[in-house]
Formats: sequence, structure tokens, C-alpha cells
Amino acid sequence: MYILLVVAQILVCNFINVGQYVMLSILPVIILCMPLTVPTIALMLIAAVVGIAVDWLAEGIVGLNVLALVPVAFIRNPVAGLLFGKDHTERGEGFSLKKNGFTRFSVAILICQAVFLAVYVAADGAGTRPFLFCFIRVMLSLVCGYVISLPIANMLTSETK
Amino acid sequence: MRVNGNILGIGINAAVFILLEVAALIMLHHSGPLQNIWISKGMHAVYAAVWGGADDLKSYFSLKKQNKALAEENFRLSAMLCSYRGLTGVELSPDSIPDIYGGYRYMMASAIKVSNNRQHNYIVIDKGSEDGVRELSGIVTKDGVVGIVDAISRHYSYGRSFKNPDMVVSARIGREGPVGELMWDGISSNGAVLREIPQHIPVHRGDTVYTSGFSSIFPADIPLGTTGEATVVNGSTYNIEITLFTDFSSLRYVTVVDNVDRDEIRELEDRYAD
Repeated sequence: MYILLVVAQILVCNFINVGQYVMLSILPVIILCMPLTVPTIALMLIAAVVGIAVDWLAEGIVGLNVLALVPVAFIRNPVAGLLFGKDHTERGEGFSLKKNGFTRFSVAILICQAVFLAVYVAADGAGTRPFLFCFIRVMLSLVCGYVISLPIANMLTSETK
Repeated sequence: MRVNGNILGIGINAAVFILLEVAALIMLHHSGPLQNIWISKGMHAVYAAVWGGADDLKSYFSLKKQNKALAEENFRLSAMLCSYRGLTGVELSPDSIPDIYGGYRYMMASAIKVSNNRQHNYIVIDKGSEDGVRELSGIVTKDGVVGIVDAISRHYSYGRSFKNPDMVVSARIGREGPVGELMWDGISSNGAVLREIPQHIPVHRGDTVYTSGFSSIFPADIPLGTTGEATVVNGSTYNIEITLFTDFSSLRYVTVVDNVDRDEIRELEDRYAD
């Protein structure tokens, strides 16, 4: 399922253009919904590999998705611990929209998306775009990313035992 | 034990994170032209911060040495003042000490940038035109000649360091010995060559070399260094190796010397030379 979603992301990048103000990415939610038993180091390595794959096969600028996705993997476990409870995450129990609540899950998605987009938009603009443009781009992409991430998160976490 | 394990885990996670981010930045640096410039600018900013910090740290740790040198100089000046007071009976207050002495105006300055490792070295000092610095003023320390002011802005001056192949200082062996041209040897940090000393004049190793005062830039009798091995050139003159007193690598405080009559001397030279 995770691999299929990465392929979907590659297809989205290649064939769906929603304008310069919106950047659709489901990679943060894929990393967020990885099982809690996966340690942070492994998660960061997975993020790096996924990022390279998407960069290589879709976007052209190699390193952009890696740069933005690795921080998401780095903060995933602390964010999960903060929102879903430390004991819960240390036991490696699965989490889901139903079990942990819509609000907490939404906050987790928004944090991961925001970190990813902030780094991505900053690196993509490379200091050449005005701050207002970057800010609007992050905000619009965050809203769109959140909307498409919710069903994907629901799908991925409902599989978790 | 568990706390230690947690800290170790966080440390390893952070290290892997930094490693992966650096790898991503390297990839970005090579794949996008805009990103290439952006990352290069960022790297330069980091280098500048690190070097600036290292320089501050170095100057902090050299304070003890600087203080010792200042204390010694203070002691020497106090001794001279006592002797002056004994001879003349006149009391000198700090305000009554003139900044012009012997036809030269003296001004304290701090070296804010010094290059040492090139063939053409330079020094930047924190005094400029608003402080009264003029082009072609000399830059000296108590240990010798440092350079000549080449360009000035309102608050800073750019000087050509003595460590330049085209910089020549008129120098004398001893206070009344023969005069020659002193130049940087182009190799070592404190090595110079004194040229055109007539062969018939005996030269001894370890003699002190002073500025001759024959240029209109530097006053006479500033100690520059000591003589070393002499070699005969063209069968008529000596080239003498000189070990300079100035330690260019630890320059902090310098004195700007400006010949107040320089323009008049130059005008006279221009009119009657040839």
C-alpha cells in the first residue's frame, strides 16, 4: 500500500498541475502513518529513499523531497508521543482516526504537512521568491494537503492492527 | 541508565538526521542552478560566522599576551617620562602630550583585517578620512613597519602590507650605519632582505636595522629587525637577510603616522627633480 501511494505521488507530480500556488504531496502522511514500531533512524532512511525516488522519477530537482521529508520522519515519533500519548507510542500500538480522535489526528497531519511544506517551499524558491508568495503557497498547499491526507491516513491506519 | 540510553538515542537520531539533510543539500546543490546559488550563499554565511567566531576566540585568548606587551610598553614610557621630568622639571598631563611630534602626526588604530598568506597582502584599519587618515600615511607598530595606506573610506583605511613584493622601505643598519632598501623576502612571515649595502662597510650579524627617515612616509629610527647572513651581489653590494620584529600574524593595534609636511616636500621634489 505504501509503495502504491508513492507511485501515486509520482503520478500526481508528473501529470497533475494545480498551479504555482499549490503543491500537492501525500508523502508526509505516508511517513506519519508508518507503524510506530519503526524506529526514527529507519523512518528517516525510508523518507530519504522515498524522497529520492520521487525527485528522480517526477520532479527533476534531486534532493528537494529528501530535504523536506527527512525532518518529517525526524519529528514523527515525538509528535505521535505528544498527541497520542507517550505510553501508547512506546508500546508500539497502532493508531487510527477512530481510536485517537479526529482532532488529534488532524493536528498530527497538519504539523507534518507544515514542516514538509515550509522546507520544500523555501528550498524550491531558493531565496528568489518573496516571503508573501512563499507564505501563501505554504498555506494553500497545507489546506489542500490536509484534505487529501485525511482519507489516505484513514485508509492506512485502518489497516493497522 | 535509561536516561543515558535516551540521550544516546536522541544523539544518534540527530546525527543521522544531520547526515541525511547534508546529503540532500549536496544533491540539491548539484541539481538546481537556483538552489546551487542559494546553498553557496548559505555556506558562505556559515563560514563567515565560524571564522569570525574563531577570530574573536583567538583574540580573547591572546589578551594575556597583549596585556603583557602593553604593560611592558607602559613601563618603558613611564620610565622615559620620569627621566624627562627629572631633566626639565616640567609636568606632562595626558592632554598636553601632542599628537604631532617631529613633523609626524600619530594616531592609534586597530587592525580589523590582515591578510598574511598571499603574495600581495593587505591590512584594513578602523580609522578613515573622518579621523584624519590620508593616503600614503604609514602604518607602524613599536616593532616595525606594517604597511602604507593605499585607500581610505570615511571610517576605514585599506593599507598595502609590508609583505608585498613591490613594497620598499628605506632602512639603516644601526642608528648611523649605511642605508639600503628593505623588502619582504616573499617567503617567510618575518623574513626580509636589505639590499644595496656597500660592500666596503662591515656588517655584523645581529645588528638592529631601523627606518632611515629618508622617505616622507615613515619617521626615522623605528626598529625593524636584526641582520642575518650577507651575500655579495654583482661584486659590489651586500644583500642582507633580515629577521623582522613585527609578528604579522598577531597584529591588533597599530599606529598611523602621517608626515604633516609631505605635500610640501613632494611639491618641492616635483618642481626641482630632474
